[in-house]
Amino acid sequence: MTPFDTHPAGVFPAGLQDRKIMPSPLEIIGARKAFRTPEGGTMTALDGISLRLASAEFVTLLGPSGCGKTTLLRTISGFETLDAGDVLIDGTAVTQMPAHRRPVNTVFQRYALFGHMSVARNVGYALEIAGRDKREIRMRVGEMLELVGLTGMEKRSIAQLSGGQQQRVALARALAGKPKLLLLDEPLSALDKNLRQKMQQELKALQRELGIGFIFVTHDQEEALTMSDRIAVLAHGRIQQIGAPAELYQTPANLFTADFLGESNLLPVTLDGSAAQLADGQGFAAVRPAGKATLLLRPEVLSATAPERPGLSFTGVIRETYYTGTDHQVSLETGTFGTIRALLRTGNALPGIGSTLTLHAPAEGLHLIDEVAP
Amino acid sequence: MSLARRKFLQLLGLLGAPTVFLLVFFFGPLLIMLVYSFLTPGLYGGVDWIFSHLNYGRILGWADTRYEKFDPVYIAIFLRSLRLAALTVLASLLVCYPAAFWISRMRPGLRDFAIFLVTLPFFVSLIVRLFAWVLILRPTGFLNQGLMGLGLTDAPIEFLYTDFAVILGMTYVFIPFMFLPLYGSIEKLDMAQIEASSDLGATRLQTFRKVILPATMPGIVGGSVITFIPALGNFIVPSVLGGAKVLMIGNLIEQQFLSARNWPFGSALAMLVMTAVLVLLIAQFRLAGREERS
Repeated sequence: MTPFDTHPAGVFPAGLQDRKIMPSPLEIIGARKAFRTPEGGTMTALDGISLRLASAEFVTLLGPSGCGKTTLLRTISGFETLDAGDVLIDGTAVTQMPAHRRPVNTVFQRYALFGHMSVARNVGYALEIAGRDKREIRMRVGEMLELVGLTGMEKRSIAQLSGGQQQRVALARALAGKPKLLLLDEPLSALDKNLRQKMQQELKALQRELGIGFIFVTHDQEEALTMSDRIAVLAHGRIQQIGAPAELYQTPANLFTADFLGESNLLPVTLDGSAAQLADGQGFAAVRPAGKATLLLRPEVLSATAPERPGLSFTGVIRETYYTGTDHQVSLETGTFGTIRALLRTGNALPGIGSTLTLHAPAEGLHLIDEVAP
Repeated sequence: MSLARRKFLQLLGLLGAPTVFLLVFFFGPLLIMLVYSFLTPGLYGGVDWIFSHLNYGRILGWADTRYEKFDPVYIAIFLRSLRLAALTVLASLLVCYPAAFWISRMRPGLRDFAIFLVTLPFFVSLIVRLFAWVLILRPTGFLNQGLMGLGLTDAPIEFLYTDFAVILGMTYVFIPFMFLPLYGSIEKLDMAQIEASSDLGATRLQTFRKVILPATMPGIVGGSVITFIPALGNFIVPSVLGGAKVLMIGNLIEQQFLSARNWPFGSALAMLVMTAVLVLLIAQFRLAGREERS
């Protein structure tokens, strides 16, 4: 691992590593892009984004709509040109290369399958364009359909397929030309929940099997956590944080990431250099520069029984509870901190709504963010 | 009242009037023409009720040898009409396809205005518009004066009363007919498919050939048919811009009814045009049906 991979904002000074020796499947350096709005203003879609794939990774670009994730994907595929910055694929700059010459393929959000062609012609399109001979195309199409579980569907028309099958055809079509990198633009958003979860697992398995990089765009944080080797959280045209799913979830670097990924309780704390103090006087050890910060408490670190290592505790009145099978979702009304949400394992009896409850957080479940919540 | 009866009455109320209208004023006259085409022309116009197949014979080759030898002039006129109509379709297609593409990519307000402009000529009488073309094309017209003024030619070029003038005039008249069906299918074109094609390695030309053209084929076929049919039977454009030199089948039919007073022969010509159009329509439906199935 190079020192750059752990850089918090994902900004790598250009030229510091030798791209010829260890070419990265994808490298984006200082990408900037602004659009003119119809009202005459400008909208910054990409505000200096740098990103490097260490190997054939599954990287998810995660963010709310309008954060620039789709624009970033389109600069990789070649449908948008950058105002500044560079895109390198396998160590070769493709910034000025038109889309049809780039060695990447895309699975589009609404599949964009060719309605007037059969499944086989859709899947074989890249090879047909490249002028391969018919037998080779037929074999490759067969292989691809087998890969996505649609063996024998060559002759079907696109209109005869279900949404899930169309999704698989789109995937097979994008992979048939052996791209060096596969780009996926919210490909699962049109599927129902069960199918989506199944496809998530299949996509991850497929990426491992093929050994090429996948860049996956989504606004669904659960999807991102499930599938990715690394997640890049985007907002306002910048990468807020990039890292492994567990790292981002447990130790987010900023409030945006903490809030966007999963449920969170954010409590203001005051630091004095060696300890942190909450508004109600509770404290815990924290060696950090003095000032103000925010404590992140994930709902599942809280429990109704006191831990062995003393941590924090919060007493309040139960306002709402929801039973989900494995957990109780509890909203606890505390005087000082407002509502605190907790996820408690079922199995232990839970007091009813309106009764008083004390929740405990172990010392190892506390994570500080050097930002002040608004 | 039973549900089926109610449905039947509803259908009758909605479709009864147009059905009766079409039967009386469209199919009736057509039937009369079909019958007339097998009768003998009366001495002073009208028909004599004597069966004759010679009206068709005169066109297709079994002329009444007692009076005249077979003259293929009518077949020649029919073939010329087919050729001019086909060239009109081609010219309209070449004008309308890029225009429809361009207009479909405009922002909505401008786009609606552009479509309004395409249909604007309908608001002015056809005769007035065609005589405007006479003023442009005649030897002392704007076009020739312009060409001579630029020194591109010394003497005026004969534009008027040529095939060129007729094709130009018909293209001009039928552009909205071609444009609207084309626009309909081009507007529905999925931009993501064009991007997908490019993403999979196709150049712009390949994308046009393999994705855009097949996807807009219904509009091309629809526009072509709806332009070809009225162009084939048109008689106003060739009589104004073609004069006596460029006679089309429509002019011939008009002459038989209005000046030659040979209604049976005119009817026979009209029936042949209709048969040609019907064959074309059936072929198109067959083709469209096969495309949908495959």
